[in-house]
Amino acid sequence: MNIIEVEQLRKEFKVHRSRSGLVGAFRDLWTRRYTTVRAVDGISFAVKRGEIVGYIGENGAGKSTTIKMLTGILTPTSGRIVVNGMNPHQEREKFVRTIGVVFGQRSQLWWDIAVQESFRLLKKVYRVPDEQYDRHMGEVIEMLEIGSLLDKPVRKLSLGQRMRCELAAALIHNPPLLFLDEPTIGLDVLVKLNIRQFLKQLNERYGTTILLTTHDMSDIEALCERVIMLDEGKIIYDGSLETLKEKWGQGKRVAFTFAEATAAPPLQELTVGLDVVWKKGEQPNIWVAHVPSGGVPEVVSRVAARYPLQDIRIYEASTEEIVRHIYEEGAVHG
Amino acid sequence: MFYVSVFVQYMGQYMKTKLQYRADLFVEWLSDLMAQAVNLIFLLVVFSHTPLLHGWSRDEMLFIYGFFLVPYAVFAAFFNLWDFNERYIVQGEMDRVLTRPVHSLFQIILERMELESLLGAVPGLVIMVYVGSRLSLSFHWYDALMFILLVVGGVLIYAGIFISLATISFFADARTSIMPMMYNISSYGRYPVDIYHRVIRYILTWVLPFAFVGVYPASYFLRKEEWYGYAFFTPVVGALFFAIAVMLWNAGVRWYRGTGS
Repeated sequence: MNIIEVEQLRKEFKVHRSRSGLVGAFRDLWTRRYTTVRAVDGISFAVKRGEIVGYIGENGAGKSTTIKMLTGILTPTSGRIVVNGMNPHQEREKFVRTIGVVFGQRSQLWWDIAVQESFRLLKKVYRVPDEQYDRHMGEVIEMLEIGSLLDKPVRKLSLGQRMRCELAAALIHNPPLLFLDEPTIGLDVLVKLNIRQFLKQLNERYGTTILLTTHDMSDIEALCERVIMLDEGKIIYDGSLETLKEKWGQGKRVAFTFAEATAAPPLQELTVGLDVVWKKGEQPNIWVAHVPSGGVPEVVSRVAARYPLQDIRIYEASTEEIVRHIYEEGAVHG
Repeated sequence: MFYVSVFVQYMGQYMKTKLQYRADLFVEWLSDLMAQAVNLIFLLVVFSHTPLLHGWSRDEMLFIYGFFLVPYAVFAAFFNLWDFNERYIVQGEMDRVLTRPVHSLFQIILERMELESLLGAVPGLVIMVYVGSRLSLSFHWYDALMFILLVVGGVLIYAGIFISLATISFFADARTSIMPMMYNISSYGRYPVDIYHRVIRYILTWVLPFAFVGVYPASYFLRKEEWYGYAFFTPVVGALFFAIAVMLWNAGVRWYRGTGS
């Protein structure tokens, strides 16, 4: 069952273009020139219940705008959105009770009061019955290990502690769908791990559907089976992380450290018939073979049989590199 | 009903927050009271030089001012909207507000309330009792209800005007200096309107009805029967302006959600 359905979603902003100079400023007073910017340009996708989807893209690709439309903050210019069976911007107050939202750069909690008091206010705002609150939040608090923080005011928490409390706050009403916008921004590795683990547990135990945006590819690798990649307001990839890696990972690099300095021609001759490109390494006795995935064992065995070797290292392109590469190319072909 | 219980909950949290900083709270009260006292002395000095103005005696003018302080204090306690643009639009807190299942204006009022401003009503009440006894005004039991009704009307007028002003922030991204200007204009309502030019009187009655927060309702208690019509009209004007403000607000939110920030 689809929990999010988006069809031909489009959002345009009118941006005021200011003219340069003092004269320009005066002219701006009378006639303003606007350009229409398509922040989100006709995207369509669907998310099933229980999925964890990574929504990635460069700054300004339209991620935040999409999230704001999905959470009912912004009204789309055109297109159809159905989230949790509702139209987010039309039935806002009813709709938001079925979602949880965490903006990594913005706090849900009240600065001056203890964390549990913030929770209590939110519990009231979301009309959560006591019994449901105690049961559900008890588990959430335990999973996030924030029991000892509950009586501290938010201003005294570290960023990592605060972020965990933010997550708990977004889950007070046990929403079936959770939006996370940059949830791990600025956090240290341990807190990141803790949060990822929590999100996984949440997903497994409650079947919570999670849509997250992040710049940290390790978040995506740890959590998401599926990624949606956005560039200039359009979806350029929607599918599993594995496929993305296989198709655009551009194989592997094998660095051979030979016992003696070698030249390119004999090496090329050695790997004739295989789709291998040789490149010079940092030292005269190091050569790097760019090998398509699957071809590594054959190359290694041929080279090792012919030359005495000191070392072999195999590198795989990281998701980060793959993603960067895709952005540089502009779009995913195929 | 739900809104009332949310309101009570917020109020409780507000108290707790304030009680956390006991010393702070004490100093704040003290400075507030001192400011009010200075204000009071200043008024007495000013009014002591103007014994009679257009048929209004010094004591009557003081009474009007005293009355004005009460709705103003209530307004200041609950409608703390002067930095709305900065806080909610520029810093983007509005997005968070819109992800919660309660009306956005109500949430902002709750988040921004400053209950200690209610103290400002104390000097107002003191003035009214003091001047009232000097003028030997008579009170009936129903005057208490009348008082509440007129105060609420005044609060709604103030709230209506300042909510409408805050709404501008949704449409224009630049900061405006209208807010401080309006605070200045609002002070004209504290004085008898018939001392002003016709045009100003008209504006203070029908366009920016600040006269309904000071002179008109106060004249009911001063038993100035020629103004009774206006006095009784106060709650109606209040309800009207507040309703318009809420409509404008909703339109503003719709616009904001269409354009983003």
